Amino acid sequence: METVEAVWRLESARIVAALTRVVHDVGLAEELAQDALVTALERWPADGVPDNPGAWLMTVAKRRAVDHIRRSQARDRAYAETAARPGDDTADGDERDDVLRLMFVTCHPVLPATARVALTLKLVGGLTTGEIARAYLVTEQTIARRISSAKRTLAAAGVAFALPDGPELAERLDAVLEVIYLIFNEGYTATAGDDLVRADLCRQALRLGRLLAVLAPGESEVHGLVALMEIQASREAARTAPDGTPIPLHEQNRGRWDRLLIQRGFAAMLRARDAGGAPGPYLLQGAIAACHAQARTAEETDWARIASLYATLETLRPTPVVRLNRAVAVGAADGPAAGLALTDALLDNPRLRDYHLLPAVRGDLLARLGRHAAARTELRRAATLTRNRAEAAYLRGRADGLPAEDQDRTPSGGTVRERAAEFLTRHDASTRRSYAQTLDRLRRALGDDTPMTTLTADAITRACVTAWGEAAPATWNRHRATIRSFAAWAGVPGLAAGLERRADTRTVAGPLPTETVAALCADGAHPLRERALWLLLHESGATVTAALGLDVQDLDLDDRSAPGKGVTWRSGTARLLPALIGGRARGPLFLADRRPGPARTPAAAADLCPETGRRRLSYERAEYLCKRATGATLRRFSPGSAARRR
Amino acid sequence: MRYLMTSISTETTPAPDEKLFADMAAFVQELTAAGQLLATGGLAPAGTVLTSRDGEITTVDGPFTEAKEVAAGFALIEVGSEAEAIELCRRFRRMVGDGKSVIQQVFG
Repeated sequence: METVEAVWRLESARIVAALTRVVHDVGLAEELAQDALVTALERWPADGVPDNPGAWLMTVAKRRAVDHIRRSQARDRAYAETAARPGDDTADGDERDDVLRLMFVTCHPVLPATARVALTLKLVGGLTTGEIARAYLVTEQTIARRISSAKRTLAAAGVAFALPDGPELAERLDAVLEVIYLIFNEGYTATAGDDLVRADLCRQALRLGRLLAVLAPGESEVHGLVALMEIQASREAARTAPDGTPIPLHEQNRGRWDRLLIQRGFAAMLRARDAGGAPGPYLLQGAIAACHAQARTAEETDWARIASLYATLETLRPTPVVRLNRAVAVGAADGPAAGLALTDALLDNPRLRDYHLLPAVRGDLLARLGRHAAARTELRRAATLTRNRAEAAYLRGRADGLPAEDQDRTPSGGTVRERAAEFLTRHDASTRRSYAQTLDRLRRALGDDTPMTTLTADAITRACVTAWGEAAPATWNRHRATIRSFAAWAGVPGLAAGLERRADTRTVAGPLPTETVAALCADGAHPLRERALWLLLHESGATVTAALGLDVQDLDLDDRSAPGKGVTWRSGTARLLPALIGGRARGPLFLADRRPGPARTPAAAADLCPETGRRRLSYERAEYLCKRATGATLRRFSPGSAARRR
Repeated sequence: MRYLMTSISTETTPAPDEKLFADMAAFVQELTAAGQLLATGGLAPAGTVLTSRDGEITTVDGPFTEAKEVAAGFALIEVGSEAEAIELCRRFRRMVGDGKSVIQQVFG
């Protein structure tokens, strides 16, 4: 029934929040509120919609909560609290604070960011799981899983349903603002998909922000964020051409900007000023947005002021993205050369290596300097990097629209993409996989359409340092080897000249002392399978592969050996083995925890246990479990194996 | 989705009293807080009518042909669906008594 849904959407946050105060558990509160909704769905079609449906739902829901408390174990404690604060005649102010508390809970730092977003949209925004899933282009199960595990995490962490104060308030408020802005940005510039804008997410974020501004009126950052979102949202109609092509800010038809939202944004800026305090990052971004909104034409934009606001913002948030935006502003205020100089400093920043706006901005500045060939390369690279199709098409269009120069006639040596693809076809599957990893990264760093002939050793070196500068020597050397063989094959071996081989400075840790192994294997906290494996490795000195490859039928328990496999053990392992085997006569000795799904059935029948249907424990899984439990690798349990490695 | 909600008084619409002002203030505050109310205002009973006909525009001072068609106020709201707009309007109507409201979606 439509009305019930509408009422639910309008009231659910308050109801869930009020119930959470009573039952101290958001998951339970939501269930109880849903119960009330079900009651409404049953009753309203017959009895008619009550005069005040919100209050009706609240009353029913609270009655459920009280019933629940009566039944629950924690009766006494909860009774005392509900008696102290009667549920049905709470003052409005309290209910408002309930919603604020709810937001502090759903945006709690113990949750991963994706869970915070999903839980906030569900409980405060009143969106259904299906709606959230659609907005984020993931399956409904994924969102449902995120939400239920978030509720469990909150319950396990015992997150209090209380308003934090002092420095904790500022910190927690930051988390709330971040979630709201994340939601807004997801809607404003979709990171994936065909549409540039997912308006419903923007609207939700705006709603949450406005709500927060009323709940926490004294926080200038909240008003700053609201101002920022209102002003950004005001440009929505002007941001795309009818065919979906994005239109950059300075080319937008300002007549299509929504004056109402701009005014609301300005009003929020004024409220922020009244709230006082030093300007925070959102307020500064709001001020920058306001600067753009104030200019009647693009030419009237006060770029000098924007550049100085960015300079202040950079001191608070010296992120590469802020520095890039400052470069844009400086490029407009002081000329493209000044802007380009600022972007050059960002080129080897690993955090920007896949960020399409860096080459896009550089392309723009280069084009304004008249360096068309370089500009084209950068714009095409940007197009390769963006995941948004509309944006990619726009960037390619800009690149193609630049006047041609002599140096970029049809490339004789082919483009990076073509040559890389050709190179890969010459190798077998596993080599190809390894090589493709390196070359894909290289293609993204250099630009797909870059002609091979224009590549320089400097560019290659910079791309590699940006991508793998921090990697372990072995990883670095593997990528280096790939690039060297690619360069040699392409006939330009000089390309890899700047890449030094890195010495492998790792010290191989020796085997674990016997006492350590004994202590670990005697610790009942570790599962039997793990202990048996560790002890077997320790006593036999066999390799991990050999140990995991053992089958039950290989073992001679009396002789403490696996004839034909060259593995022997001693009393410790012998004591554990019978329990591990547990009456099985055939199949792998060490089994995985779960049965394989249809898509993961092992190719070899020997790796599947005929009795339990479970597959052989994989090296990766065993290693992961061992590292998590002991901090050491499996090799270190086996003295022989560790010695061989040395 | 944005909706423009206009309210039209009728002869039986009760004169606003103190309670209505208080209720209205609370309602407006609540909708603003929820981020649903973008703009609102009352409209003067007197008005001017401009009519175009064959490219010629005539200006006529009010009153309207029928005084009961005068819009008394408007609210611009932002909600997720028409059902939500209707629900908010229902609450508003319950508060102000006799009369009627029109909800129209606003594009662009």
